[in-house]
Amino acid sequence: MDFTITEDQATLTQGVRDYLAGVHTPELLRALDASDSRRSDAVWQGLTEMGLPGLLVPEAQDGLGLSLLDAVLIAAELGRAGVAEPLADTALVAAPLLAKAGGQDALLAAIAAGKAKVALQHPVNPWVADLDGASHILSVKDEALLLADHGGTAELLDSVDPLRRLYAPVAPTGTEVGSADTLLDHAALIASAQLVGIADAMLEQATDYAKNRSQFGQPIGSFQAIKHHLATAVVKIEFAKPVIQRAAVALQKNAASASVHVSHAKIAAADAAWAMSETAIQTHGAMGYTYEVDLHFWMKRAWALSSAWGDRAFHLARIDAAVIGGALPIGPGHSFA
Amino acid sequence: MDLVYTPEQQDFRAEVRAWMEANVPKEPLVTLEREDGYHQHVEWERKLASGNWGMVTWPEAYGGRGLDLIQWLIFEEEYYRAGAPLRVNQNGIFLLGPTVMEFGTDEQKARFLTPMAKGEVIWAQAWSEPNAGSDMAAITSKAIRDGDHYVITGQKTWSSRASFADWGFGLFRTDPESKRHKGLSFILFDLNAPGVTRRPIRQLHGDPGFAELFFDEVRVPVENRIAGEGEGWNVAMATAGFERGLMLRSPARFQAAAERLVKLFRQHEAKTAPAAREQVMQAWMDAQAYAYNTYAVASKIMAGGHIGAEASLNKIFWSELDRAAHRTAMQLLGASAELRHLDGGALNMWLEGYIFSLSGPIYAGSNEIQRNIIAERLLGLPR
Ligand SMILES: Cc1cc2nc3c(=O)[nH]c(=O)nc-3n(C[C@H](O)[C@H](O)[C@H](O)COP(=O)(O)OP(=O)(O)OC[C@H]3O[C@@H](n4cnc5c(N)ncnc54)[C@H](O)[C@@H]3O)c2cc1C
Repeated sequence: MDFTITEDQATLTQGVRDYLAGVHTPELLRALDASDSRRSDAVWQGLTEMGLPGLLVPEAQDGLGLSLLDAVLIAAELGRAGVAEPLADTALVAAPLLAKAGGQDALLAAIAAGKAKVALQHPVNPWVADLDGASHILSVKDEALLLADHGGTAELLDSVDPLRRLYAPVAPTGTEVGSADTLLDHAALIASAQLVGIADAMLEQATDYAKNRSQFGQPIGSFQAIKHHLATAVVKIEFAKPVIQRAAVALQKNAASASVHVSHAKIAAADAAWAMSETAIQTHGAMGYTYEVDLHFWMKRAWALSSAWGDRAFHLARIDAAVIGGALPIGPGHSFA
Repeated sequence: MDLVYTPEQQDFRAEVRAWMEANVPKEPLVTLEREDGYHQHVEWERKLASGNWGMVTWPEAYGGRGLDLIQWLIFEEEYYRAGAPLRVNQNGIFLLGPTVMEFGTDEQKARFLTPMAKGEVIWAQAWSEPNAGSDMAAITSKAIRDGDHYVITGQKTWSSRASFADWGFGLFRTDPESKRHKGLSFILFDLNAPGVTRRPIRQLHGDPGFAELFFDEVRVPVENRIAGEGEGWNVAMATAGFERGLMLRSPARFQAAAERLVKLFRQHEAKTAPAAREQVMQAWMDAQAYAYNTYAVASKIMAGGHIGAEASLNKIFWSELDRAAHRTAMQLLGASAELRHLDGGALNMWLEGYIFSLSGPIYAGSNEIQRNIIAERLLGLPR
């Protein structure tokens, strides 16, 4: 029993955080927002050079063969930096699913090389993210997960998040590579992890703002109301993190209870991020209500991911079935059931 | 990260479980806030000690088992699973004990720790004063040096267990000229010493769970002072760290409450408000989250880390989840919630638990104070 991350994991996470802080700046987000495609080959290239697409690709296909625990740590960094490229979907969701399915060596190698992008389509979402530009698509038909090549353009849907690229779903097709549920669980887990990173970013922005904005002759961060709003948000964020890590370990091991823990993670992370977004805008005053202040990029991503890959009702229903329904052993001694 | 218990840990769990099954009283004890219940709980402490379960993390030399924090968590899980009584010596074993171990002399360790682990001496904490609550540095009770003794004069209040306990530990001003955090010392005293008067205070539930203490020239030997004269504040802060940090409330307590709440919900399902279902799930989720976090903190400490201002996050989280879970139960019970005894005459534990949960956000540093600490020390906001 050991609930710590390793030094290697901490180092990798910090490395990704530092890299993204240097290149994936708010200025870049604004430049992407002003562009037509909202995507950048240069950014993708940089992420590829960092080796990020191959993190969960097996070593035999030139990846790093890391685990879902590593994936959630990295996903949080993608959230923190507001990364818009479809790295999480391809590298942190599709890659481990394909590796588990087996027989996808060529595609996995292409993912590791940054040459393949996999779009994820599931009936729980009324959209598919980044279908344009995807070389492959995972979709669901009758509970089966199908893999197909993808090309061509699709109908763009309009998201409040200016950097999300959503498309209408397409007819599911392809070869079977797993079950619908595994896609949902992996994607919901990675969304949760992104959400806590997004929440951390909003916390940092709000805290900085509170230190620098003065009213009544003093920084607004010296007012107890502001302090307590922020402290309340920190509690929610920090207590979501171990839930996500615990869910990652359960899913990595294919534990029977994994989906309950993923649902718990999704709810905890979405609640924390959503609460943080309201605290952050309140801390910024009218500034927070503008398009000019960076905050909105993260706030809107938080709204989007909170309900993507299963909204609150969806995930509560799974917990309900397990906890109130009685399938999951609960109580002292069952922390890791 | 490895979230699997080792075979040794599983064996340990089995050992605790077997002992608890054989020894936990079949009938619930009377509340420890009342004199008869207090003595029942002291008996239970002694029973625990007879099985060498007084404080499993302590070194064997002081009546412990020298076990690690994960084993402590397992012990606590089995303890609450078995429905064992509350620990009447909580303040001793979880607060004073670690403080004596960190700051005490060998002589003090031998004198105080072993009787504590054996349940022979029950301890009360005496920090608060009528005008020093959240603002603990406003303490005015004095301990004036007179040869090899201190002479204590003043008043303490809200001292849990002090209505019936044997000894107390408190902060006193040893430098009468000093102000605020300076000039305080951490002193242990016999509650039966001449000059100590206890006035039990009835708590919300009606029983005298804490007491006011009046000191009228109470003579206490100098060797009862922990750490140096005037260093009391830092010692107390370390104690407060233990209290908020890890040990004051083990997750098993809340997991047990969440489990009972789920059962209660199933019984009342047909006539619950729509929101109740979600609140019950939230109670389970929060108890689990608190457990994961505690395992994470325990693992971190075992790997050589320590817990700082993060302790304030814990204190807010457990006290608020506890209050919410019990409030939910009160609402599930509906019009029965106000009855002190439910069907069959058993005490309405949800009501008792709800009443107690209301104190969680107040004691051990109120949650407002914790939020100040988080904002100032973790986020670096200006004072
Ligand atoms: C069940 C129970 C058991 C206890 N056991 C013990 C014990 O064994 N030993 C012991 O020494 N003490 C004990 N206490 C006392 C406890 O430590 C104090 O109640 C606590 O420190 C708060 O002090 P106070 O009650 O004087 O409230 P006050 O300090 O008067 O606070 C009243 C309200 O004002 C708020 N407030 C105060 N200062 C600030 C601030 N700076 N910013 C924002 N809000 C503020 C508080 O948060 C609270 O909501 C116990 C209390 C309870 C309820």
